[in-house]
Amino acid sequence: MFRIVNRRLENVILTTVFLLATLSSCSDNKSYSEPLPENVDFNFHIRPILVQNCYLCHGPDPSGRKADLRLDTFEGATAALKEGGYAIVDGKPSSSQLVYRINHEDEDQIMPPPESNYKLTDREKALLEKWIDQGAEWKEHWAFIPPISSIKSSSKTTIDSLVNIQLENKQLVKSPEASKNSLIRRVSYLMTGLPPSPDDIENFISDNSPQAYEKMVDRYLNTDAYGERWARHWMDLVRYAETKGHEFDYSIVGAWRYRDYLIRAFNDDVPYNQLVKEHLAGDLLDSIRYNPESKIAESPIGTAFFAMAEGTHSPVDIKKDEADRIDNMIDVTSKTFQGLTVSCARCHDHKFDPILTADYYSMYGLMESTRFTPVAAEKTITTEKSVKEIEDLKVYMRNLISTKWDENTIAKNTISSEEKAATDTTYQIIGNFRNADLDGWKSNGTAFGNRTTLGDPILNSTSSKLLKLDEGRASSKLFSKGIFGSLQSQNFIIDQNFIGIKARGEKSIIRLVIDNFQLIQNPIYGELEMQVNNAQWKNYTIDVSPYKGHKAYIEILPGGYQRHAYQLPEEAYIEAEYAISYHSDWPAEVNSQSSFTAQIHQLNAQIKNGKLPTQFPGLKSAFDRSQRLAQNLISQSVFYGVTDGFGINSPVFIRGNHQELSEDKVQKSFLSALPKGGIPFNAKGSGRLQFANAILESENPLTSRVMVNRIWHHLFGRGIVETVDNFGLQGKLPSHPELLDYLAIKFQNENWSIKEMVRSIVLTDAFKRSTLRNDELLQLDPTNTYLASFPIRRLEAEAIRDGILVASESLNDSLYGPPVATYLTDFMQGRGRPSVSGPLNGNGRRSIYLEVRRNFLEPMMTTFDRPIPFSTFGKRDVTNVPSQSLIIMNDPFVAEQAEQMAKKLLTQNGLTFEEKITWIYIRSFSREPSTEELEDAKEFIALLEKLELQNESEGDDELNLWKQYCHSIFNLKEFIYLI
Amino acid sequence: MSKYHNFLKRPLSRREMLGICQGGFGALAFTSLFGALPMGCDRPKNLVSEPELYRGPHHLPKAKNVIFLYMDGGVSQVDSFDPKPRLAKENGEDPRKKFKVDATQFDNVGKILKSPWDFKQYGDCGMPVSELFPHIATCVDDLALIRSLTSKFPEHTNANYFLHTGSGIQGRPSMGSWMTYGLGSDNKNIPGYVVLDGGLIPPGGLDNFKNGFLPASYQASILKSGAEPVSNIAPKEGIPNLQEEKLRFIKEMDNSLIGKMGEVDAVESAISNYELAYKMQSSIPELTEFSEETKATKKLYGFDSDDPHTRGYAAQCLLARRLVERGVRFIELTCPNVGVDRWDQHNNLKDGHERNAHAVDQPIAGLLKDLKSRGMLEDTLVVWTGEFGRTPFAQGTNGRDHNPSACSMWLAGAGIKGGTTYGRTDEYGYRVIENEVTIHDLHATIMHLLGINHELLTFRFGGRDIRLTDVHGHVIKDILT
Repeated sequence: MFRIVNRRLENVILTTVFLLATLSSCSDNKSYSEPLPENVDFNFHIRPILVQNCYLCHGPDPSGRKADLRLDTFEGATAALKEGGYAIVDGKPSSSQLVYRINHEDEDQIMPPPESNYKLTDREKALLEKWIDQGAEWKEHWAFIPPISSIKSSSKTTIDSLVNIQLENKQLVKSPEASKNSLIRRVSYLMTGLPPSPDDIENFISDNSPQAYEKMVDRYLNTDAYGERWARHWMDLVRYAETKGHEFDYSIVGAWRYRDYLIRAFNDDVPYNQLVKEHLAGDLLDSIRYNPESKIAESPIGTAFFAMAEGTHSPVDIKKDEADRIDNMIDVTSKTFQGLTVSCARCHDHKFDPILTADYYSMYGLMESTRFTPVAAEKTITTEKSVKEIEDLKVYMRNLISTKWDENTIAKNTISSEEKAATDTTYQIIGNFRNADLDGWKSNGTAFGNRTTLGDPILNSTSSKLLKLDEGRASSKLFSKGIFGSLQSQNFIIDQNFIGIKARGEKSIIRLVIDNFQLIQNPIYGELEMQVNNAQWKNYTIDVSPYKGHKAYIEILPGGYQRHAYQLPEEAYIEAEYAISYHSDWPAEVNSQSSFTAQIHQLNAQIKNGKLPTQFPGLKSAFDRSQRLAQNLISQSVFYGVTDGFGINSPVFIRGNHQELSEDKVQKSFLSALPKGGIPFNAKGSGRLQFANAILESENPLTSRVMVNRIWHHLFGRGIVETVDNFGLQGKLPSHPELLDYLAIKFQNENWSIKEMVRSIVLTDAFKRSTLRNDELLQLDPTNTYLASFPIRRLEAEAIRDGILVASESLNDSLYGPPVATYLTDFMQGRGRPSVSGPLNGNGRRSIYLEVRRNFLEPMMTTFDRPIPFSTFGKRDVTNVPSQSLIIMNDPFVAEQAEQMAKKLLTQNGLTFEEKITWIYIRSFSREPSTEELEDAKEFIALLEKLELQNESEGDDELNLWKQYCHSIFNLKEFIYLI
Repeated sequence: MSKYHNFLKRPLSRREMLGICQGGFGALAFTSLFGALPMGCDRPKNLVSEPELYRGPHHLPKAKNVIFLYMDGGVSQVDSFDPKPRLAKENGEDPRKKFKVDATQFDNVGKILKSPWDFKQYGDCGMPVSELFPHIATCVDDLALIRSLTSKFPEHTNANYFLHTGSGIQGRPSMGSWMTYGLGSDNKNIPGYVVLDGGLIPPGGLDNFKNGFLPASYQASILKSGAEPVSNIAPKEGIPNLQEEKLRFIKEMDNSLIGKMGEVDAVESAISNYELAYKMQSSIPELTEFSEETKATKKLYGFDSDDPHTRGYAAQCLLARRLVERGVRFIELTCPNVGVDRWDQHNNLKDGHERNAHAVDQPIAGLLKDLKSRGMLEDTLVVWTGEFGRTPFAQGTNGRDHNPSACSMWLAGAGIKGGTTYGRTDEYGYRVIENEVTIHDLHATIMHLLGINHELLTFRFGGRDIRLTDVHGHVIKDILT
């Protein structure tokens, strides 16, 4: 046996040597598309070849690994092969099986095998060989190495110098600075999404000071429109939508508050690390950020992005539905903040990146421990303070009473202080609210406070005498009606037939949330929600026998859902005594009433019998004050966000199948390949805050790079890493690695200021260059990777529409608020179609304020490449299709705006023909027309006049004429391109 | 046509041509490949930077076009193409005593329900068809019947997305988008992927027809009957030649811009798109102009039916043929609104299925016969299916609930072995017991007939090379010629 193997090896080596001899002899003469680099770098030259051609079978995922060979680690690639030899022997290509196999001519031997449809080019083979020859130096994937920069002191010119190094290396000649008109148009559109106003243009053109450009940039940086522009960029990442799609397109209540939150955040330049924290854990922060003007709590609104996913109303398999929803959250979260595609590890370890299935299910547990819920939208510092003060007042009032009722006055307690032992085993208590505490339930929002009503004084409203002390119950009107809040049980696994809640209330509901499923309705799940609309105590029962084995929690909340839109009527309230689960019949008596209840009964009896004092100086005023304070808490407005549930660790779903679970559960932790990764969070709840902190660890190599790259992408139209959402092994390599690292470090050093980063980039020479490219540039750098000129860019959907509104002077620039209803064409049909269409012109509002209905997306937006909101899209497509032309040619909105513009033009008194054309040009192209263009315009207008005369068109001839001209102007490419 | 018919002065440059191809309308480069020798499977190297090179055709295609007749809501298999005598025998008995009943959408399981319709055998192949489809029954020798289609979702929306995009969740590209991405269109004046809106957009909405993460150029164009069949297709100028004059002015100004700034691919393609858009304005309305069709043809489709829904669907079917004649790659017909909410008969099965069947039966048979007599069935694939089947037991007393475990569907035309029956369900027609065909298999087969290897047509998104068939799918060889 040994001999045979040996002979085979011998053969192998002989062939290899022969082959290499022939190879190296011809490779010297070969001309490759690009000459081989002097030093072959693993990250920049070798890994892309391996990832693309080898990792499907020899990558990090063991499930598909062939021949036990992994080429994603140095150890793996240099380990002894099963069939003898080594894939890679550093410094010795001739001994490396890899070199042998990639050059093999036999179909059974060559790598990659023909059936894989992968094939190495000669250059790739030569690169691999040269790299092994140079010692096969292995490096970690570039994006996992923390950014380093040799730049010691940064200055205004640092960015340019880093761009210039590449230009000089490639011997590319820089284009000159763009004209002032181009510059102001570029800056205005890219920073605010709007064209510059005629006044701004004039100011800038006439400002000959050296600071003119910088002043202009700062002006735009500080307009409200800046926030609108950058918020919309961000909305692409979090699949922003205002409805849930699926069959009936139900609303995502208050989504717009998140949009407004973003606009404010970008305008206020909230540091990026704060934004990250607020998105992932804004509901869990110790110190909440309040809006300086409105005083509302901003931080929790960030979490709304979790709730922006699609939603299914009657999934037959409720657990699978949860798995799909969580998958989407993992996908969006990991791409947005880390530029990683963690959801690729749902069924197996990531095929390319060091992301394990365990990482996926660790994040899964994190999401599973997070609950969807309405969140009070207008919580302020006053709210917090009022709650605190009311609570203090209650303590004060109880003390007031109890100190006066010293022990002697209180009749001896005849009831044993021992709780009655629960002897009845036919039921279990899930929550008991007859004591002072909420029995471990979560009180979200303000309504239920953090204790029951036990012992609260009840006063006679006229005599202000104490009537009695209140018994214990959880109450949504603990402070007052009209306050949002919900009370949620811990998670439990359904193991009995019924859930019962003793409750009373008005226009309120009790819900059983199974597997985090929220869209409760008929036909399948209608019974999981019970209306509570009776002031008398009643037993409310849900038959949960079909759901045995599922995890669930009970939710009690005032108000209810209308087509899944939460509403809180003023009179709504709900109170509960206890919640139980039981097998067959509601137990005759639910025990474990505490001694408190009995005591309260006794005390109240004594009060009634006049045996206890009932007048307390100060009680009435304290009581009144607490009542008054409670008025501060009243607020019905909510948005859909999240709250922390109780910590759940998820098992691994074997091959992604939710019905096939691993025995062990995965503890929640950060991604194992990154700093602070793999260490279990010691959080009681979801661990989202720890997750956010890990993302913001200073050694995290991705967070800062990913964000500065996004900023660069939005300004230059292409990221330094082109695949802005994927920094993994399949992503593109950075075109300017040093620059990226420099910016990433600068970003952190400058307190994660997005505005400062935008400003630094916009102030560079690279940003100011003209778009003109000579033939040499076209040849040497056809894709303009190295930025010798500024890239020509088509405006985004929103900027095109908004630009039209500005040109026609119809833009309504009011900020914020509920969205403008979608304008519905005849082509927009299907279930969930709103009964009324919105206005054609969207009330003149900026596009960011137009409603995003998943099943009725605005055609102009989608046709001009606004992404469909289902995943993270950091980089929009820029397509070129006739339907875009058709919109500008024939859409009634564009025609209407052309008429609007013509009307505005004609209200200008005493303009000459030339001045009219100039008026239009400044508004449309941010520049004046050339003499030639004036001539063309004259000729064209004359032609239009002739046509109109021939056809005796109706209406105002002059207006029609200019309308047609303006409409033509909208159709020019210069209108939708930044030239 | 006016003199502006060719308002592009210069011939298309190679780059412009590529631009157009990427725009999805022309795919001129692929047109020349089509029908020629296979391009071979030489998969190019740098897949990330040149994804367009990865496209088809990968082998000699059988089909040039697909007409997808979508039976929205789910036709009952045991009432149409999969007769089950046992249901009659056990009518009214408790299904739970006979077999394991899965959870259903409405959770309202009634008794075993026999089919209200009789079946008869038709054609040389003797395929049994129920009374619901007397016209389609006359075409059985051209059909390959699959009785074993399954879905993964018992909910309409998810099942619709699954059938249309290969994934039950919103956001993936529709199969029509994949086909045009892979093959382009043979007609640059009409979109390559057209949905004929017969009245009902399926649950899940227009996202069933969207491009997902593929470029927007691959989304379906929705065609409706009426004065403006495609959104924004009608010029609004009102004065003859006015639009042409404007377009001439626009072109001149744009060209002078190009003159000033040098060649820029994107801007040049945007300019040439005006040419295409202009042509579409006349080519699209011309499509719906049926005056050149003979009386006999119209009669064949059912234009003279008493049932307005039959007449409506007949027009859609005829339009589909006209689109095929013009080289449109993928055409889907949605259901007419007969007033009972698609094929989704949760109650009143008899009335609802009869009304739906009456609307579509004759037009579909007419379409098959018309295509055949014109020799077009040879390279046109016709696919007839719902998103899932229905339960053999009643929902309530007289309806049927959703059943993803068995569904009957058929294919006809290009490359299809007519008169074949493939797959088998149990004695109740409840579950597939032989030769299960998944939605992925169906997609793989449709793509195969179009010359696409479903494993090779991919698009890089979110770090993965994604396919219509995900990591699944097998071509159903047994139904192919």
